[in-house]
Amino acid sequence: MNIVVEAKQIKKVYGAKGNVFSALEDIDLTVMEGEFVGIMGPSGSGKSTLLNILATIDEPTAGDIVVDGINLTKMNEEQLSAFRRDKLGFLFQDYNLLDTLTVKENIILPLALAKLNVEELERRADEVADKFGIRDILNKYPYQISGGQKQRTAASRAIISKPNIILADEPTGALDSKSATDLLESLKDLNEQDKATILMVTHDAYAASYCNRVLFIKDGKIFTELVKGKRSRKEFFNKVLDVLSALGGGANDVI
Amino acid sequence: MTLFSLARKNIKGNFNNYFVYFVTLVFSMVIYYTFTSLQYSEKIQESIELSDTMSFMFGVSSIILILFVAIFILYSNSFFTRKRKKEVGLYAILGLRKKTIAKMLFYENLIMGIIAIVIGIILGTLLSKLFAMILIKLMGSIAEVDVGISILAITQTVIVFMVIILFTSVQGYRLIYRFTLIELFYDEKKGEQIPKVSLISAVIGVILLVVSYWLILKPFPDEFTTEYLIKNYGIAFVALVIGTHLFFRSVTVYLLRLSQKNKSRYYRGTRIIETSRLLFRIRGNARTFTVIALLSAATICFLGATYSGYYSNEKRAKEVVPFSYSHLSKGPEFDSQVESIIKADHRHPIKAKLDIPVIQVKGILSFQLDYDINPVKLISESTFNKVANALNKDETVSLSGNQAAVIQPRFTEYTKSVFKGENITIQLPQGSSELPFVHMVESNVLPFDYPDFFLVVSNEMFAKIAKKEAPLTYKVYEVENEVTAQATSRKVNKLVGNDFQVSSSFYTEYKQGKEGNAITLFIFGFLGLVFLAASGSIIYFKQLTEANEAKGQYEILRKIGVNKKDIRKSIKRQSLFVFGLPLTVGILHSCVTLYFTSNFISNLIGINLIFPILMAIVFFVIIYAVYYVLTVNTYNRIVNK
Repeated sequence: MNIVVEAKQIKKVYGAKGNVFSALEDIDLTVMEGEFVGIMGPSGSGKSTLLNILATIDEPTAGDIVVDGINLTKMNEEQLSAFRRDKLGFLFQDYNLLDTLTVKENIILPLALAKLNVEELERRADEVADKFGIRDILNKYPYQISGGQKQRTAASRAIISKPNIILADEPTGALDSKSATDLLESLKDLNEQDKATILMVTHDAYAASYCNRVLFIKDGKIFTELVKGKRSRKEFFNKVLDVLSALGGGANDVI
Repeated sequence: MTLFSLARKNIKGNFNNYFVYFVTLVFSMVIYYTFTSLQYSEKIQESIELSDTMSFMFGVSSIILILFVAIFILYSNSFFTRKRKKEVGLYAILGLRKKTIAKMLFYENLIMGIIAIVIGIILGTLLSKLFAMILIKLMGSIAEVDVGISILAITQTVIVFMVIILFTSVQGYRLIYRFTLIELFYDEKKGEQIPKVSLISAVIGVILLVVSYWLILKPFPDEFTTEYLIKNYGIAFVALVIGTHLFFRSVTVYLLRLSQKNKSRYYRGTRIIETSRLLFRIRGNARTFTVIALLSAATICFLGATYSGYYSNEKRAKEVVPFSYSHLSKGPEFDSQVESIIKADHRHPIKAKLDIPVIQVKGILSFQLDYDINPVKLISESTFNKVANALNKDETVSLSGNQAAVIQPRFTEYTKSVFKGENITIQLPQGSSELPFVHMVESNVLPFDYPDFFLVVSNEMFAKIAKKEAPLTYKVYEVENEVTAQATSRKVNKLVGNDFQVSSSFYTEYKQGKEGNAITLFIFGFLGLVFLAASGSIIYFKQLTEANEAKGQYEILRKIGVNKKDIRKSIKRQSLFVFGLPLTVGILHSCVTLYFTSNFISNLIGINLIFPILMAIVFFVIIYAVYYVLTVNTYNRIVNK
């Protein structure tokens, strides 16, 4: 199996001399193709910083990141933008849909930006819309649909360009439990059937229990790692809760 | 921290946002100050021929200016306060009493207004001198500029702007009382919706525009009455205004929607983002666009028309008053008195001196002409040819027997064909004679005096009629360099009195025309500038507000992989649309209207309007381009850091 993400010795330091705050300290991370990895940790542990760095939205102070064989630290702004567009899919807590575009236009945006031809674009839009069950709202605008539908739209947008990796930042954070479960099931299907590689930051143990592997971060360092293995989702959920209580501090909102 | 210092800090913090508004405000104050100081300037008025008119015109235009500026300030202020609702809500939540917050807003506006007034007056005293020099140069006068520090102008400027600023400050004060806390806090996101396409109103809009263009461009009817003028152009004006509004409100929506239909174009690059953003914003901008398009059309029109009037003044004056000096002979003593005045002016030596005998008779045309021809003025063939020679014109006539040539009445458009094959019956004390028209000529002989119907007849004929009806003799002089003969012209005018409806000396006619045109050009130029600055500033501010609201949206775009260059390009394209659309419509409107006015004006003075119109348009485009660049840069700074 191929390595999709390989991060070595990542450091992120904020502030100037005298008043330095270290958000990440020597983080190593490897994600294989087809993995569904969760990153958990209390507020301020550095999990979102890590995701932003992997997403090339933020730059590490030190360390190397290789995604799909490409070293991110050596790219300029334009190359990074193209990289994000072609290799990464994003899912955010606040959906990040463009208000002025219809659901369909939002979904196909990455392909339109990549200047794909229209037929291919329409075909893929239908394909992902079916996958997430949003075919009948394709011509609606974001202000006309519910939170769960918005997140499924965002998920469709994230996968339409067939990215090497999907990065999800608290995707269930703003959803009710039914919508959250629907979304997580969809992500699981995506992972299992389409072999999509997913990296998800969450502080919800229930969401984390859908992953194959969960990394725990505390104060910018890797605290521990849990692998689901042959366990059922329920057992894995309890395991995650155990680690969280050991982790303590700020991670009280487990459910 | 006192309330006052909090207000001061707010201004400092928001200064970037206020900057363009502030500059526009100061600029309009400078122009207002210039207008009022010119209105009160005595030295300039002494040196010119049109002093009463000048004072009056500057008085009126400063009132127009102030009305416009008041609307601009009110509009901008309502914009600022709406933008700051949330901030006001925050103060309220922090426990500040409504009265206190209101006072703070009041102070803020007041401080800014006072600073603007101080800067405006200082710049005004400095720049008004320069502007006055421009005016004097335009008028072609040699006068000392006594404009600058004028207590009267300073007082008036301060009072007028203080009233406006106090009024808007009170508006700010009232804002806080008008809203509940929850309204203040949750105002930002009103949830703009996609505008519905209304095919009917789009069609009506297009029809109205077509109708108004058609009404404007339609050739003049044979009978040109005031009723027709009001009816035809009144309807055209109303149709133009409503049509323009519907154009921005519905037609653009329809066109943008249509452009979305072309998927392979629409789904390509950032076009999808721009088109949809414009579509969402168009309704909110429609009214502003309409006002801007119509006002720029009006300004370009006035500017173009005045500009052409200014540049054709000499030609027009020479037509109205052909000779340097003309007067009716009133006995040898009087005539020699006039002549000695003219001869005494050594800097303007006499080139030609002629006697022009004119016989006034009653005449009846053999056809209908909507021009009052009586009394018909007869001159002889030889007189006409001598005049042509004295004025260096090639147009001569040679007539025999009864033949007559008509001189085209000034300010009319009659052509040769009107007179062809027709004749005129001259009534004399003993019998009458019929004179057939054989020519129409265009060289004028005497200063304009209504009715302006001159006939050239053969020398024999003239002699024959002269025996029955004694001719009046006019004395005319042509001098070197007549455009500078100010002192002599004044003396001659005083002595001669009103022999004609226009002045009896060329210089006076020329100079009055030049000054009148210069003043209008100056006024329209600066009013246009203020208007441009204000409208540019309004679009700029609207775009900035939009940029602040759209920050999040652009962040999303960055995240999904649009690079900075593409975002900048996308902002450029959007702004180009926002600035370009009202300007294009405005230019189109003004071209149509100017086509009409040029028909109207060139009928009267026969000049070419294309160059001046082009100048006015280029001028407009350049200033808008400056605002466009400013907008793109600021927008980019806000969303694309």
